[in-house]
Amino acid sequence: MLLEVRDLHVEFHTREGVAKAVNGVNYSVDAGETLAVLGESGSGKSVTAQAVMGILDMPPGRIPKGEILFQGQDLLTLKEEERRKVRGAKMAMIFQDALSSLNPVLSVGEQLGEMFIVHKGMSKKDARAQAVELMDRVRIPAAKERVGQYPHQFSGGMRQRIMIAMALALEPELIIADEPTTALDVTVQAQVMDLLAELQREYNMGLILITHDLGVVADVADKIAVMYAGRIVEQSPVHEIYKAPAHPYTRGLLDSIPRLDQKGQELYAIKGLPPNLLAIPPGCAFNPRCPMAQDVCRTDVPPLYPVTESPVPRTSACHFWKECLHG
Amino acid sequence: MAEAILEVRDLHKHYPLTQGILFKKQVGAVKAVDGVDFDLAAGETLGIVGESGCGKSTVAKMLVNLEKPTSGSIRYKGEDLTKLSPRALKAVRRNIQMVFQDPYTSLNPRMTVGDIIGEPYEIHPEVAPKGDRRRKVQDLLDVVGLNPEYINRYPHQFSGGQRQRIGIARGLALQPEIIVADEPVSALDVSVQAQVVNLLDRLQSEFSLSYVFIAHDLSIVRHISDRVGVMYLGRIVEIGTDAQIYDHPTHPYTQALLSAVPVPDPEARAHRERIILTGDVPSPANVPSGCRFRTRCWKAQERCALEVPLLAVPAVFRLTDSPARHDSACHFAEEKRVVPPEDSLPHPVPLEEGPAPAEATREAESEAAAEAEAVAVAEADEAAVRRADAAADAEERAGEQTGEPSGEPPGEPSGEPPGERPGEGTGERTERRPGEPPEEPGGPKSL
Repeated sequence: MLLEVRDLHVEFHTREGVAKAVNGVNYSVDAGETLAVLGESGSGKSVTAQAVMGILDMPPGRIPKGEILFQGQDLLTLKEEERRKVRGAKMAMIFQDALSSLNPVLSVGEQLGEMFIVHKGMSKKDARAQAVELMDRVRIPAAKERVGQYPHQFSGGMRQRIMIAMALALEPELIIADEPTTALDVTVQAQVMDLLAELQREYNMGLILITHDLGVVADVADKIAVMYAGRIVEQSPVHEIYKAPAHPYTRGLLDSIPRLDQKGQELYAIKGLPPNLLAIPPGCAFNPRCPMAQDVCRTDVPPLYPVTESPVPRTSACHFWKECLHG
Repeated sequence: MAEAILEVRDLHKHYPLTQGILFKKQVGAVKAVDGVDFDLAAGETLGIVGESGCGKSTVAKMLVNLEKPTSGSIRYKGEDLTKLSPRALKAVRRNIQMVFQDPYTSLNPRMTVGDIIGEPYEIHPEVAPKGDRRRKVQDLLDVVGLNPEYINRYPHQFSGGQRQRIGIARGLALQPEIIVADEPVSALDVSVQAQVVNLLDRLQSEFSLSYVFIAHDLSIVRHISDRVGVMYLGRIVEIGTDAQIYDHPTHPYTQALLSAVPVPDPEARAHRERIILTGDVPSPANVPSGCRFRTRCWKAQERCALEVPLLAVPAVFRLTDSPARHDSACHFAEEKRVVPPEDSLPHPVPLEEGPAPAEATREAESEAAAEAEAVAVAEADEAAVRRADAAADAEERAGEQTGEPSGEPPGEPSGEPPGERPGEGTGERTERRPGEPPEEPGGPKSL
């Protein structure tokens, strides 16, 4: 297993109290595999990824519990110095907003080449050549001419390609992409997702794709983890979850998106709002919004019930997963 | 079609590009909107879709007179808004209101909700006499599903979805006939999006409103619209009823756009053909000659560079009865279904409870309102953390080795000229993915 996250907890100490952003997350990614982490804002999907990357601000963040095993080694026990060696070289992250993630006063070539100069002691000239090659690899046309240009001279899709090139530069084994296409138009989104999937195959990388878009996930993921209020409520291979969700939240999400291929009547809307992380409801966190909630849901936190064991395990954190699964 | 209450003809908006500091001379123009025509019938919803930069938001701004058109006309019940005197215009504008995209920046943080929703009455006092305003605002809050007691709260005390409801209430305040909604749900989470879309649906039938609904999300536009116009680089390239556009598109751009939408159903992948366009939208300051889509089109021929295709029913379909008989601005229009028919796909069984009644949703939201704030704050923090770390992380990518495997082809560069032959030009890359196992052993696990 390339990466295994075990019982991870992350909390933020704020003036109003302790916000429990992540409450016992378990997931794993193998080389060449794509795990999609799906959730609404505030579900803890990005915070989990930041903990894995080791870029969480601590304080106010704190990891009271959990393990992050990368190639068998617990990253949380490493010193910051050692962690840095893993970050970038072994795992890299692609952010949503390419424009604010790139330095506006340095040319793209300088930003890409910087890594080679600093970490590999290359000469400026060699680093520039490497930058051109990277840009070629992410299919930026006329890379040689454009290497001297600045981020604002590139379109949104091209900037996201530059972010991908940066992440790929040191050939990491794991890539975490946090909403990589959310800011892009659909036609460009398809280009970028295709490129990412292609490069992943080529280098046999593990990919964690963080998104709120159920459509993007269906196209590229091998397995899906749905997060709600800091927990994974359902984890499943991609086909099964769309066919028959085993958690009412997943079902609600799937029902609430309008479909391209049908006109549809009124949309199903999950009532209410996601919970306040300072005061997560007792029992199942989803119970105040759940149409299937019973008394037990208000008192007992549902464990992860195994839905199917093999060939790929599937789990649901719902006391009534059977009822949900069979409609 | 019912009588049109809004007729837009040959609408243009050009922003001049100037050179020189003291003596500015015009060296060109950004043609944001470059000849748009459409009608809006009473009670109908016209959806306008397109990628960013296609001019759809500029059209919206011109409809509510936030931008002056360079040329063209906007007729509301026969009166041309572009030619009215300021006084007459003020009276007409009451009937066309706007709902903005971003519920965070479109509400003044220093005004209470009551002041925000009631502000339109300052400009149009004839709608509500002073003593009556508070009650009117409370009614509006109730209509959009917010607790009327929240009238003295400030925008930051609400969640994104609730703020958008406030924006909608403000749009309704003057009892308009037309609401122009510019990406009203794109900033919202999936589950909240559905609530707001349902609200817009309900309000339309309750107040017999006409909507111009602008969005880039094709699924939502289909859900809410009776007719849909597809915009590309300042022009409408295809327009028709939702079934005509989505099930029988004839313009290559519409086909590409539809095929690129990720459908939340892995089974659908097998049934779908994807057309992936290369390159980006050209700059509106330097529009290609002839058909403006030709630089990315796989069908482009010499004629496309010379002749501007008109938005009309293409000749091949003029005498037919098929749903493909609708306006499409393409010389080589051809019907091509890219969205598989709905009955070919399996669907999850709907929840037993069925759609939650609007009343219940409203109550639940009111209760949750207090909690909403903290969530929003936590979310903002999260975003800030992410951004700050992005810069730090780029520097930290410590390297051990960078030997790149060479000799791999750079692939087709985007933005290249269109192919010579129709149908198989360089612009098209069609993919059929029947969910087959990957060829190479190192590929992703197939499930």
